[in-house]
Amino acid sequence: MNFRFRALVCAIAIAIIWICALGWAAGLRWNTPLWPAERLVLTARNFHTVMGAGVEDGDALQVGAVGDDGNALQALRLGPVAAKDLPILRYRFHDFPRTLELSLLFRRADAPDDAQVITIPWPGEGWRTVDLRNVPEWHGDITEIGFVEYATAQLVPPSVAFQPFRFDRAELVSPSWRGGMAALSTAWFAYVPWALLSVSALAPDRATAGTSSPLPVVLPAAALSVLAASVILGWSRRRALRRAGMAVAVLWVLLDVRWLRDFGSRHALTESLYAGKSWDERQRLLPEQDLLAAADGIRGWLATQPPGQRILLDADSKYAFLRLIYLLLPQNIGLLGLTGATPVPAGSLIVLYSSSQWTYDAAQRRLRGAGRTYAVDTLFENESVRLYRVLQ
Amino acid sequence: MSLVIAWVLCLAAGIALWLALNPRRGPGWCAAALGYGGVFGMLLAAGAAALAARADTAHALWRAGPLLLGVAIAGALVWRRGRRPESVYEEQNENKWISVLLGVAVASLAWRGWTALREILLRPTYPWDAWDAWAVKSKTWVLLGHYAPFVPIEDWLRHPGRELYTSIAWGYPSTLAWMQVWFASAAGGWIEPLVNLPWFVLWIGLLLAHYGQWRALGIGRQPALLGTYALGSLPLLDVHVALAGYADLWVAALLGFAVLAWLRWRLHGERSQLLLAFGCALLLPLLKLEGAVWLALFALTVLYGMLPRRRRRMGFGLAAVALVLIAAVSGLALPLPGLGWVGIGRDYVSVPVIGQLHLAWHGAAFAGVLNSLFVQPNWHLLWWIAPVIVVWRWRQLRAADVTRQLGAFLLAGLAFLLFLFVFTDAASFAESYTAVNRLLMHLVPPLISLLMLLLRDVSWGPGRGGTGPQSAAHSPQA
Repeated sequence: MNFRFRALVCAIAIAIIWICALGWAAGLRWNTPLWPAERLVLTARNFHTVMGAGVEDGDALQVGAVGDDGNALQALRLGPVAAKDLPILRYRFHDFPRTLELSLLFRRADAPDDAQVITIPWPGEGWRTVDLRNVPEWHGDITEIGFVEYATAQLVPPSVAFQPFRFDRAELVSPSWRGGMAALSTAWFAYVPWALLSVSALAPDRATAGTSSPLPVVLPAAALSVLAASVILGWSRRRALRRAGMAVAVLWVLLDVRWLRDFGSRHALTESLYAGKSWDERQRLLPEQDLLAAADGIRGWLATQPPGQRILLDADSKYAFLRLIYLLLPQNIGLLGLTGATPVPAGSLIVLYSSSQWTYDAAQRRLRGAGRTYAVDTLFENESVRLYRVLQ
Repeated sequence: MSLVIAWVLCLAAGIALWLALNPRRGPGWCAAALGYGGVFGMLLAAGAAALAARADTAHALWRAGPLLLGVAIAGALVWRRGRRPESVYEEQNENKWISVLLGVAVASLAWRGWTALREILLRPTYPWDAWDAWAVKSKTWVLLGHYAPFVPIEDWLRHPGRELYTSIAWGYPSTLAWMQVWFASAAGGWIEPLVNLPWFVLWIGLLLAHYGQWRALGIGRQPALLGTYALGSLPLLDVHVALAGYADLWVAALLGFAVLAWLRWRLHGERSQLLLAFGCALLLPLLKLEGAVWLALFALTVLYGMLPRRRRRMGFGLAAVALVLIAAVSGLALPLPGLGWVGIGRDYVSVPVIGQLHLAWHGAAFAGVLNSLFVQPNWHLLWWIAPVIVVWRWRQLRAADVTRQLGAFLLAGLAFLLFLFVFTDAASFAESYTAVNRLLMHLVPPLISLLMLLLRDVSWGPGRGGTGPQSAAHSPQA
C-alpha cells in the first residue's frame, strides 16, 4: 500500500471514529435519519402572553414587560403531540438579555393541572437546540408548551433583570442527525451563568437541561484516532508517542478555548450588572433583594434599641438565614436552630424570617417550635419578619 | 493611597523575606521571589494585623505596618549581605514556533487574569462559604472596629455579658480573616472587591512561584512555561480567583510551595528551602482545617526522606509502633495538629471540629468522585493524562527517591480523599459535588510538579531539548 492510500484509509477511519463518538454522545443510531422526518413549527405570534406583556411583531412576539412576580410566560395550546415523536426542541430569540434565565414549560394530557418546568440553555442569538429525550417528564401527550423568563436565580437582582426581547420561533422536530448534532453543540457550548455551586464544580453548577461536558467523548475519540493513525500509517512507538502528546496538547487547548469562552460569557453578565457603578450602588445590587430589604428593616429596628443585643435568628431556608446573618453584621447573631437545650438568656432577641417552624401563642406569650418553648414579648411583625424579646 | 501603601508594604516584606532566605540567584529566581514573596507578604500582613491590630482593626494598616516595614528592611539588609551573582545560564535550541505558541498560551493566562480581576473588582462577595464562613469574622472585626472572639453557640449563650460572637464556622482558622482586616483597613472600610483582591495576587503568585521553582529545579524555560500554562488554565482554579473568598486556593498554593521547596532541598541541598518547605507546610492548618492532614502527610514524607536509606524501614516501623501505642493509650485516638485528637472506632472516625463520621461504602459518592475527575470540565485533561504519564514514566518515577516519595505523598493524599468521600458521611459532599473538587484542588499543584519532573527529560524531537544544562546536572538522583 502506498502512503497516499494509507493516508486516505486513515482519514476515513478517523472520520468514522468521530462520527461514532459524536453520534453516541448525541444518542443517535446508525439508522437515525439525516434530516428530521417530522417538524411542528410553533410560530411565536400564536403564543399568548400569560404573564408579563407582549405584542405581535410579524411572526414574532415582542415581549415588553414581566408580570408582578418578575416572570414572563408565553404559552401555546397544542392538539396533543406525542412527546416521543417530537423530542427535539429548537428555539430562537433576539436580544434576549443575559440577565434572564429561560425555562421550558409544558403540560401533559395525563396531568393537565401539573405544569412541568425545566431550565433550558440561554438562547443568545441564533438557534438553540435541546434534546428532550433525557428529560424524564417529557413523555405521553403534550397539550401545552411555553417559555418562562425570569431573573437568573441567586445571581441577578430581579429589579434590573428585565429588558425587552423578541421571541422569534420555536420548533419541535423528530430525531435526526442534524438535530442531534445541533443539540450536542448547544449542550457543549451553551452559556451557563455563575451559580453558588460554581466554586465546587463547573458542571452541573446550574441544573440546566441539555448541557453536558465534552470531555468523556472527545478524549477517547482523540485517543482512538491516534491509535488508528498509528496502526494504519505504521508509526514507530516514538512517533506515536509524539503525536499522542500533540493530540493531548491540541485537545487541552481546545477545551481551554471553550472554557475561556464560557468564562468570558459568565463575566459579561457581571460587567452588564455592575460596571460603571460605585461600590455603594453595587453592594445594594444583590440578587436576594427581599433579604436585603428584610435586613434593612431589622437593622432599622435594632438601631432604636440599646447596642450589643444578642440575636437568635431562624428561617425556613438555610440560604436565607445564613445570608441574613452576613448582611446584618456586625450584629451579634446566633442560629436559633443550633441552641438545642442550652437556655437562651433573658433579653435576647429572636428574629424569624419567613419561618413556618415557629408559632407564636399570643394568649400565653409563648413562642413554640423545634420542640422548644420560649416566653417572649412581640416587638415587631410584618409579612416576612417577626421579632421577639425573650423574657425571664 | 492607603491601599497602595498596604500592598507595597506587604509585597516588599514578603519578597524581602524570600530573598533573605534565598540569596542565590539562578534560573527563575525572580519569578520565584515575586511568587513566593507576594503570597508570603499577604500572610505576613495577616500575622501582623492579628498581633498588632486587635484593639483597633480600623487602623490595622498603621498599627501592623511598622512590623511589615521592619521585616522588609531586615530582609533587604540580609539579602544585600548574602546575595550572590546570578549564575550564567543559557537556553539551548529553543524552537521558535513553540516559543510563539507559548507566547499565545501566556497571553491567554493574561486574558483570564484580567477577566478574573474585573470580576473581583466588580462583584460583591458571591460564593456561599465566602460570606457564610470565611468573611464573617473579618467583616465583624472591621465593622466593630476591634477583635471579638468567636465561640461555639453553647458558650455564647452561657456568657451573655461578655463580648463574644458565634458562627457556624467559629472554629475555622482566622488567618485569611486577618488578611482581609489588613486590606479593609487600608480601603477605609468593608469594601468587598478590595478585601477579595488578594485572591488575584495569590493566583499570580502561584503561577510565578511554580514557574520560578521549576526553572530552579532544572526544567527548561519552554517546559516550565508549558507547565505554568497547564496550571493556570485549569478552570476550577480560575473560578476560585474570579469568585474569590474560599480558602482552598490558598491551601493549594501553600502545599504546592512546600513541595517545590522540599524538592529543591532534596535535589540541590539548599537548607533554606527545607526551612521554607516546613514554613509553608506549617501554615496549612492555619489556613484551613484540612491543611492539618496535608501537613501530617507532608511531614511524614519529608522525615522519611531525611532518614538514611538503610534506616527507613526501621523508622517506618517505629513510627507505626508509636502510632499504635498512642492510639492504644489514648483510646484509639491520634493527634493531628489543628484538628485535635482524631478518634478511630470500628465503624466511625471522630474529628473534634467536624463530628463523628460513620464508616460505610457509598457507591454514589464514588461515582461522584469519578465524575469530578474524568467527566466534569473542572480540570481539562489533567486527571486523564496524569495516570498515563505516571505509567509511561514509571521507570523514571521509580529510579529516584524524590519522585518516588512525591508520588507516595500524592497517592496517600488521594487515598485519604477517596476514603473521606467514599467511606464516610462526607460522601454527601461528593454526591452533591460541593467539596470533592475543592479538596482535590489542594493536590493539583504538587501533582503538576511531579508530572513536570517525570517529563523533564523527554525529548520530543531532534534538536529541541529546551532543557537547560542544569537539567542534566540536577537529575533526581538524591
